[in-house]
Amino acid sequence: MSEKTISLDLTTEKLYKKAKEEKIETVWDRKKIMKAPCGFGEKGICCRLCSMGPCRISPVKGKGAQKGICGATADVIVARNFARMVAGGAAAHSDHGRDIVHTLYMADKDGNYKVKDEEKLRKIANELEIQTENRDIYDVAREVAEMLLNEFGKPFGTLEFIERAPESRKKIWKELNIEPRAIDREIATIMHSTHMGCTGDAESLINMSMRTALSDGWGGSMIGTDISDVLFGTPVPRETEANLGVLKDNMVNIVLHGHEPTLSEMIVLAAEDPELVELAKSVGAEGINLVGMCCTANEVTMRHGVKIAGNFLQQELAVLTGAVEAVIVDVQCIMPSLVTLSECFHTKFITTSPKARIKGATHLEFEEENALESAKNIVREAIENYKNRQREKVFIPQEKNHATVGYSVESIKNQLTRVMNSNVDNSNPIKPLADCITSGVLRGAAGIVGCNNPKVKQDYGHIEMIKKLIANDVIVVTTGCSAQAAAKAGLMSKDARKLAGEGLRRVCELVDIPPVLHMGSCVDISRILNLVSDVSKYLNVDISKLPVVGAAPEWMSEKAVSIGTYVVSTGIDTWLGVVPPVTGSEEVVDILTNRMEDMVGAKFYIEQDPIKAAEQMLQRIEEKREKLGI
Amino acid sequence: MENLFKTIFTGSKQALKAAEDVVKKAIEEKGKDHNVSFPDTAYSLPVIYAATGNKIKTLGELEAALDVVRGLIEEEMKLEKALNGGLATAVSAEIIEAVKYANEEAPYSEPCTGFIPDPVIRSLGVPLVTGDIPGIAVVLGECPDSETAGKIVKDYQSKGLLTFLVGKVIDQATEAGVKMGLDFRVIPVGYDITSVIHVVSVAIRAGLIFGNVEPGKFDKHMEYTKERVPAFVNAFGPLSELVVSCGAGAIALGFPVITDQEVPEVPTLLITQKDYDKFVPTSLEARGIKIKITELPIPVAFAPAFEGERIRKDD
Repeated sequence: MSEKTISLDLTTEKLYKKAKEEKIETVWDRKKIMKAPCGFGEKGICCRLCSMGPCRISPVKGKGAQKGICGATADVIVARNFARMVAGGAAAHSDHGRDIVHTLYMADKDGNYKVKDEEKLRKIANELEIQTENRDIYDVAREVAEMLLNEFGKPFGTLEFIERAPESRKKIWKELNIEPRAIDREIATIMHSTHMGCTGDAESLINMSMRTALSDGWGGSMIGTDISDVLFGTPVPRETEANLGVLKDNMVNIVLHGHEPTLSEMIVLAAEDPELVELAKSVGAEGINLVGMCCTANEVTMRHGVKIAGNFLQQELAVLTGAVEAVIVDVQCIMPSLVTLSECFHTKFITTSPKARIKGATHLEFEEENALESAKNIVREAIENYKNRQREKVFIPQEKNHATVGYSVESIKNQLTRVMNSNVDNSNPIKPLADCITSGVLRGAAGIVGCNNPKVKQDYGHIEMIKKLIANDVIVVTTGCSAQAAAKAGLMSKDARKLAGEGLRRVCELVDIPPVLHMGSCVDISRILNLVSDVSKYLNVDISKLPVVGAAPEWMSEKAVSIGTYVVSTGIDTWLGVVPPVTGSEEVVDILTNRMEDMVGAKFYIEQDPIKAAEQMLQRIEEKREKLGI
Repeated sequence: MENLFKTIFTGSKQALKAAEDVVKKAIEEKGKDHNVSFPDTAYSLPVIYAATGNKIKTLGELEAALDVVRGLIEEEMKLEKALNGGLATAVSAEIIEAVKYANEEAPYSEPCTGFIPDPVIRSLGVPLVTGDIPGIAVVLGECPDSETAGKIVKDYQSKGLLTFLVGKVIDQATEAGVKMGLDFRVIPVGYDITSVIHVVSVAIRAGLIFGNVEPGKFDKHMEYTKERVPAFVNAFGPLSELVVSCGAGAIALGFPVITDQEVPEVPTLLITQKDYDKFVPTSLEARGIKIKITELPIPVAFAPAFEGERIRKDD
């Protein structure tokens, strides 16, 4: 990869150059030092699940080792490795969801955590058949929390929220025996079945992967999103800015990085605390500038409009500006390299979760029982670090873009009511969206999600794919680092309508939305599931029949593998811009990119060129329209 | 479900075919140099003039204008192409109507007006600008019964709107005792669907006359009609591909279409309303028309539309 093209993002280019000049190591350097990746690992045909191994299978058929020592074939090894990636991803989302529900259980009208969206809580309670009438809302909250906590390990039955799926979908899941039961159980089952000498059938392992992934999308993630909304408010449209240009020269810059809003919400509160603002002034700063990174950024920008500093591959670069007093992190997608990197500057790298300790970082454990006080202590640490900033080292690239964010399913429906004629049946706010799709004004909808990956030019996959789709009248919803890429590129500004095709442009004008909708963090992909289910139910056709597609153009994490798998299992074709480690097994490739369609009505597509992928997506959308007769 | 855009394109192609046929036949009978014009207008064939800047004078030139239609029909599944398909149908309709006038001295007779001359449009200009005429309703097709037709048209009348009637609804309104004529702001245009172009041509000439929009800049014309001409369409009864395609033309000009039929709806632009009692408010809301009158509790309709009314002996 030529050094000039690591990113589509100018701030990344500039700071990468700075890193080079100052001989500071970044993710791209480590990628280079890694040289060519191991062919066995890359193809998924390396197994180290027992001490007879490590084993590796020859990628050439009929030549070299064709089986592991236990006799496992390439198909089995690849499928087991894939299944464990799904389990890893599902576990990450699920533990996130669990923490949020714990917080709900702790919520109290006099406490730091309160029920902010009572209506949403009541709705969830009704769904769970929990009595709400004439009850204290906190009693309801506790009962809901208890019931949802049981979702992680209940001994019988299947997950509650899969009931939200259309009947046709539930039937498919039931027939395939992939209705998720308890969330942790599915994860444990994968760990069991992938143990040496257990499942020796690739299809069975993929089937299990689907069930586990569904326990994430329709379980852990959905619970995480819903309860985050209950506790911190359901997002509504609001304005913000994105990219490293949001860092301020004359303010205490705090980067919030990680995932769980339990921490970030309290940090937001702490950063507004008058006493701490005063403290910031007393150390010579004009105030506290809180900015977000990765999914925590998405959580706080969706609910408070906190500015977005950047996405996954910019976490090191934020520190490289020399203007960050503290990077406060909790869990997931936090590069441990931030320890050594921070040492080059005055930046304090603060870990807060016992689930993600990083050697060399300042660990200030976030105590949920004493949340606000705990958050204030962490912020105080950042403020007091302002005086240590080395002015001569500061370089903040000025690039940033405007974005309108906050499109929860609720706020999308609310926007849609703008185009409803008050004299026509208004009982279902999803109708205008369904109408735009069936009439052909919008050709379809695409969910673009996922990470950054130094294997590909940062943001290029996200942006090129999104641009191509919106230019062809496909409305795009995004989450995670993809959403941040879009925000940085200005695609979430209402002004970006000019990049959209005539149909989408008109819809955006009428509904007053940008062509690319920020639906939140990675757990908030569950919002997309809910939205698509609503459209499917309204039109009375299965999700797999709808002109809807998904993509993860620059995916990296195991969470992305779980997400991709539950999206496909939900009936939505999914494009991967980075080749997953499955190419060592013809059978697994065949299942994922072909046979899955017979099982769940959707499959994976692997296409590294985002423009080609977008063309395939458009073609697939038209095929589905043709079949529906629309 | 049905493919809306395909339906539109089918209608556009039908209209083109019909236009080609009538032009061919007329040329065979009258020759290429035969004169083509609408009565009392300075804008030749107003839609074609607004679209191309060219004034058509002969059947030969009219034949060449068919290329305008062909150029507008591109069967790609995109909104702008579908809207162009609608405009193509409008141009075809104007061609077909122009041939009617080329073939006969007076192709329209009572109660139908056919082409609406410039002086009428000029006389409507002031009340449209002042909001005295708050909107223009284009009612076409066939209502389930005369009573419904009468009720809806009288409702528009009492609200001061200018209503154009196209198709069987003319007879239905007559049967329901709707008083018609320019003074009553109810104008029966013609029975063929193509005669709806005479209403479109009113809107287009509003741009040419009052908006000073340059002929040939059709985008500007569409902008003008969308912003300044508060028209909408009510389409009743079974919708042929041709009617749907005409509807797309209306939408291209910024006029929403409200129908009692099942169609693939487009929010704010193409709306199904099966409750006839709600047809009028649905239409007014869709076009953003707000009526500024206080309704007086009197037993007869009260509106400027009745200002020119003559009470005859028998009444």
